[in-house]
Amino acid sequence: MTISAAALATIVVIATLVASLTPILLIALFIRDWKKGCLW
Amino acid sequence: MTSLGAPILPTSIAWGLLAAFSILWVALGWWLGRHNRTAEDHMLAGRNVGLALATATAMATWVTANTTMTAPQLALQLGVWGMLGYSLGALGLILFAPLARRIRELMPEGFTSGDFIRLRYGKFTWRVFLVVSLIYAFGWLVSMAMAGGVLINALAGIDYRVGMTVILTVCVIYTLLGGLRAVIGTDFIQTIIIIAGAAFIAWLTIDKVGFEAIHFNLLDERPELLNLLFPAAIMFLFNNLLFGVGEIFHSNVWWSRAFAFGRNVGFRAYLLGGLLWLPIPIVAGFIALATPALGINVPAADMVGPLVAAEVLGLTGAIVVFIVVFAALASSLDSLLAATSDLVTRDIYRGHIRPRASAQNQFHATKVIVVLLGLLTWLAASYRGEIPIVGSLAELLYFTGAFVASAIWPIVAGLYWRRANPAGAALSMILGSTLGLISYFAIGFYVAALVGAAVSLVVMAGSTWLWPRPFDWGRLARDEAPAGGSRA
Repeated sequence: MTISAAALATIVVIATLVASLTPILLIALFIRDWKKGCLW
Repeated sequence: MTSLGAPILPTSIAWGLLAAFSILWVALGWWLGRHNRTAEDHMLAGRNVGLALATATAMATWVTANTTMTAPQLALQLGVWGMLGYSLGALGLILFAPLARRIRELMPEGFTSGDFIRLRYGKFTWRVFLVVSLIYAFGWLVSMAMAGGVLINALAGIDYRVGMTVILTVCVIYTLLGGLRAVIGTDFIQTIIIIAGAAFIAWLTIDKVGFEAIHFNLLDERPELLNLLFPAAIMFLFNNLLFGVGEIFHSNVWWSRAFAFGRNVGFRAYLLGGLLWLPIPIVAGFIALATPALGINVPAADMVGPLVAAEVLGLTGAIVVFIVVFAALASSLDSLLAATSDLVTRDIYRGHIRPRASAQNQFHATKVIVVLLGLLTWLAASYRGEIPIVGSLAELLYFTGAFVASAIWPIVAGLYWRRANPAGAALSMILGSTLGLISYFAIGFYVAALVGAAVSLVVMAGSTWLWPRPFDWGRLARDEAPAGGSRA
């Protein structure tokens, strides 16, 4: 049973999209914690 | 066509990058740790780390050079299941989320995973656990140091031992200066660098090669890599799942964070970190599937990631990979150095050598032990290839799988089963590790964790069912409460 090109593309594109958004999410969380004084 | 024959990054640029990032990490380490005064500050960053830093450090520590270099290697060897199987390592972080909350509730003053095993199961099981845990920690440290040397040599032509020495020295210095606070602070920046860099390379590979070309060439040259019923790959998938769970459940790297994160932070940080980590091995690994389409000759499987990046992006790719892997290496090496030195300080130095060691004694001992661990790691990594079991990165990593998977059930049972049997816990680790190792050599690296975990489960469940030993959970908090100079 071979994975199709479309299925491979779907998996990789979704993974890459999530990975691309992760730094933005982490920076947003950092700013939120910093403003609330609960970084450490 | 690219091969490993010539360096793909000019040596001068590589030295410049090494110098710049080394200065950055050491300066940050000093700055973050400048107010550390006690062992608790140094080892647990004050026990109140917030969600952003907690999530990032969980991710950064779990994104190792093994993720950035071994994920492509596994995709090249085991195909689609190789990268998907590696991404299941995220389940370790996700499943540890409730454990982190439980650990913090049961042991609000705890320091290490060894503290828990000693109080929960007694001294014999504690010693067995320390052997398992230290073998794993040392194997991981050596594999990280080796990865650093291999990468720098392959990318920039810098001698393996020189590159490995630089990376290790930098991590030892900033861990020494700032303790866990430095580790967590640098982890945040390293996470951003690693994920942004990996995503950048993946997008450009997709853009330049395309899925149709990748799929067509794989079907033509390596059709087994697209096979969803590839037996070795499916076995690897389950093995990797258990390996990841075992690594996280037992290792002091994750326990020390559970103690360091704020009271209601641990659960959310591990859960979010796991969910965000899940796609990273796919992003880092998939580029290896482009090798047939790019006509790349891969002489060493663990260098496939950098080779593809350099082929697709040229000098920029080589620079991005260099920075990403340097950050990945540092983020794991520092965590391991800090957590292992804590374990050795608390469980070997204070537990076996100087039971009356004051908080200040432990504070100083931790620093000495970081340096000693760095030296030992350097010695082992220097003789790469001359030690029989130290072969490729993946082989070394999975060698430790038998040990870590055998610790899963003693940990879970210890945290949740009131009647877990202490002798059964020791036996499950001994038998699980032994049979896991036998299967590693007799069958293959991809079954060691599977066998270790299965044997450990049978022994742990069977011994508890046949010889239950009731336990008072309150002992964990009472016995670990600050007394006798154990804390500042």
